[in-house]
Amino acid sequence: MFGQLFISGVATGALYALTAVAVVVVFRNTRTINLAQGDFAMVGAFAALVFIKDFGLNYYVALFGAVLTCVLLGIAFERIVMRPIADSDWLTLFTATLGMYYVLHGVAGWFWGRDTKAFPVTFDPTPIEVIGGLVSQGHVINMAWAGGIGLMLFWFFRYTKQGIAMRAVTDDPDTAMLMGIPVRFIVLLTWGMAGFLAAFAGVLLAPIVYVAPEMMDEVLIKGYVAAVFGGLYSIPGAILGALMIGITENMAGGYLGSHFKTATAFVMIVVLLAFRPQGLFGIQKRREF
Amino acid sequence: MTEILRCENVLVSFGGVVACNNITLGITEGKIIGLIGPNGAGKTTLFNVLTRFQDADTGSLYFRGADIGRLKPHDMASMGMTRTFQNINLFAEQSTLDNILIGAHHLIGNPFANMFGLPRARKNERKLIERARQIAEMLRLEDQLNNEVKNLPYGVQKRVEMARALASNPEIILLDEPVAGCNEEETADLKEIIQHVNRELGITVFLVEHDMSMVMSICDYIYVINFGANLAEGTPAEIQSNSDVIKAYLGEEDET
Amino acid sequence: MFGPVNKSSLNRGTLANITTLRQNWGLMIALFTAALAFPFLPGVEGWMASQAALIVVYIIAAQGVSILTGYTGLVTVGHGGFLAIGAYTSALLTKYFAVDLIIGIISGAIMAGVFGFLLGLVFLRLSGAFMAIGTLGFAFFVGTIVNNIPIFEGREGISLPTNRVLGMEIGDTGFLVISVIALGLTTLLIYRLVHSGVGRAFMALRDAERAAESSGVNRVKYRTLSFTISAAVTGVAGGLNAHIVNYVSAEVFADIWYSVDFLVATVVGGSAMLMGPFIGGFFIVMVPFFLEELADFSFILKGVVLIGVLILAPAGIAGVIARPFQALRAKRICPKSTGQPK
Ligand SMILES: Nc1ncnc2c1ncn2[C@@H]1O[C@H](COP(=O)(O)OP(=O)(O)OP(=O)(O)O)[C@@H](O)[C@H]1O
Ligand SMILES: [Mg+2]
Repeated sequence: MFGQLFISGVATGALYALTAVAVVVVFRNTRTINLAQGDFAMVGAFAALVFIKDFGLNYYVALFGAVLTCVLLGIAFERIVMRPIADSDWLTLFTATLGMYYVLHGVAGWFWGRDTKAFPVTFDPTPIEVIGGLVSQGHVINMAWAGGIGLMLFWFFRYTKQGIAMRAVTDDPDTAMLMGIPVRFIVLLTWGMAGFLAAFAGVLLAPIVYVAPEMMDEVLIKGYVAAVFGGLYSIPGAILGALMIGITENMAGGYLGSHFKTATAFVMIVVLLAFRPQGLFGIQKRREF
Repeated sequence: MTEILRCENVLVSFGGVVACNNITLGITEGKIIGLIGPNGAGKTTLFNVLTRFQDADTGSLYFRGADIGRLKPHDMASMGMTRTFQNINLFAEQSTLDNILIGAHHLIGNPFANMFGLPRARKNERKLIERARQIAEMLRLEDQLNNEVKNLPYGVQKRVEMARALASNPEIILLDEPVAGCNEEETADLKEIIQHVNRELGITVFLVEHDMSMVMSICDYIYVINFGANLAEGTPAEIQSNSDVIKAYLGEEDET
Repeated sequence: MFGPVNKSSLNRGTLANITTLRQNWGLMIALFTAALAFPFLPGVEGWMASQAALIVVYIIAAQGVSILTGYTGLVTVGHGGFLAIGAYTSALLTKYFAVDLIIGIISGAIMAGVFGFLLGLVFLRLSGAFMAIGTLGFAFFVGTIVNNIPIFEGREGISLPTNRVLGMEIGDTGFLVISVIALGLTTLLIYRLVHSGVGRAFMALRDAERAAESSGVNRVKYRTLSFTISAAVTGVAGGLNAHIVNYVSAEVFADIWYSVDFLVATVVGGSAMLMGPFIGGFFIVMVPFFLEELADFSFILKGVVLIGVLILAPAGIAGVIARPFQALRAKRICPKSTGQPK
């Protein structure tokens, strides 16, 4: 039982991690908590659905199409909504993404209806054994994808010019600007990356749940909790937070009953914040005088 | 010649950086005292310790002989000590009048009486507003009372900050670089204000400033710190001819 | 230039605070008279009074949010939790102890205030995104409690006896009158708060925490006070909400989207304006009402209006409406002033 709960907790956590990492990347470069992150993913899932069902495309081509759609969506959102208010206070940025959440929810419901739709590509339902627990193949494949994306991000931030520039903007936007880093472009890139991660989150989750406007709501909240858990500035922290939440809530669901599953993440975050207000790996921002 | 404020052997370190290394100094009542030192010498940190925003690792602080090492920043105002900040730190969204009134926060009496507008509180509030207006008048801010401070020119904002500090009825006021970023005219203005505050209102002034000609012309006594440690102290004339001080500042210029 | 302070200058003009006080009265009195007269107009049916009462509930809840978020600068996404606390406190008291509606609502407010106080202490060092997630967690927590602890009867819900005030049974119209009176009182409270030293301290903590502290504002005390008052005001809304249809259930009160709606109402209306919650509360209730058949459009409209307001009128709709009045008033109080007063 334990092994089983553990490993499927990791699988769920891996999906939360895709959202959590996107939340962190956007937050640390733009001070924005992106509440539309889940809906970017939802749009990605719908896009993939349309590509496969209506255009008859292959799964991987559809995935690519979904990525493209979401990246464009992220970039368009930055240009149209976020850039004009980039200098505003935290609440303004936060509620603007909430506005986007409403818009995307409404648009998706309008286009595709409120009813849930099955995703055409499903995984072989026979579970396979992974370190002592039985896991559905879908979970295994998702973990593999999430792991691959994790490595890709690592490479991006460590070795590419853009990735290093992005970190410089995180550390100190003013200095980065002085050093000739095109900060605006980096911010655009940040939102593009949020779209990229969202597309994977949406398409990977679609076969497990269903496709509907509110399909990502819970994942979004868990991803946000995980990001805060890790301190909001740290990508490894966000991943660790996501895995911890995935595992703990699976355990709670398994041992205490499914009622307590959703509440687990919130109990964890409230307790953590009460004792460590900057999150697990948060930096206590240097005091300005 | 009583000492109003004193710190002994104040040591503060941030990780590996020792910002204050056993600083000891005393502020004589009624004087204008300067604190100078190269960038990063620990001046702001010392101010933060004195106003209780920062706890010292070791050392003791006294206000009129009483130990204040365990007080909180908000206890300072009612005790008679107030400060300004190195970067302007105003309530940007609020009017000049409100900014000054917040300076007088510890004089509002019972907060609930004040909130529900009980007669005595109302009278007190009116008195506070009158005082705020007087202070504004003194700093030539009377025409700005209803303007949001974020729309005011830099030099005016500096005066608003000073007005807010004065509103708390301080006995001593700590100014962290009061004329930084000001042009010549604004500097002359603020200098005059500081001297006025000191002479006419009898408020002790303890200031950090990089503008040497200003420091030398208004301070009665100067402390110099370097790398977080006491380097020298004395009258402006003594400091100007002190070879250690000259070396510290020249050394700094070599680096930059 | 710096001669002794000149006393005669003090007599010039009225004191700023007092002038502001008079200015707002006219509008407010008109608004409340209209609200009280509404149920007695010809052609107004019972359900309209209930709908109006629902608007009042949202306005009061948003007022609670505006105290914490607008004036103190702490973003809350958890006030649905205080709404639930107010609602269930009042519901349980009326069901098991048959208390008066008024007593129920006041108890709900007090209970919400107590929890607000405690939450304020627990989250003493949080702000920004951390505070938002913490308060959201609180709302979720409350939702889990009412869903799972038997006395709250989960999704089944609790049916309540008919509303009684001072021993008399009241209908929809009477309930609306009570709601409007409650709104009048909370508005008065916020008005006094904002124009007092306490409100100044809240706003000072919002705008520059360290400067506020060095001016003598006790951060712990005022933050907790803001939490308490804010929660209690939203608790009033909760108490009222329980009695509009005399039914409470986890279906409604465990829904965290309430919390989000209150925040949206506050921001759209103007989070630091007295009129803000009025406009925002009206907006949030009436958009889905008019677009009932078109739920998706109501979502889109909500989102577009929210984004539009943030881009075009960051101080909220109330800010836009107030601008010309403020300019006028500024001239009167301080003829030489050019900018806009607070
Ligand atoms: N909160 C902090 N955390 C870490 N290091 C700090 C902190 N505050 C100050 N320091 C370091 O302590 C040293 C002293 O800084 P401080 O701000 O006191 O200098 P200063 O004399 O005021 O300099 P300046 O003239 O530039 O204002 C510096 O090396 C600074 O980097
Ligand atoms: Mg300094």
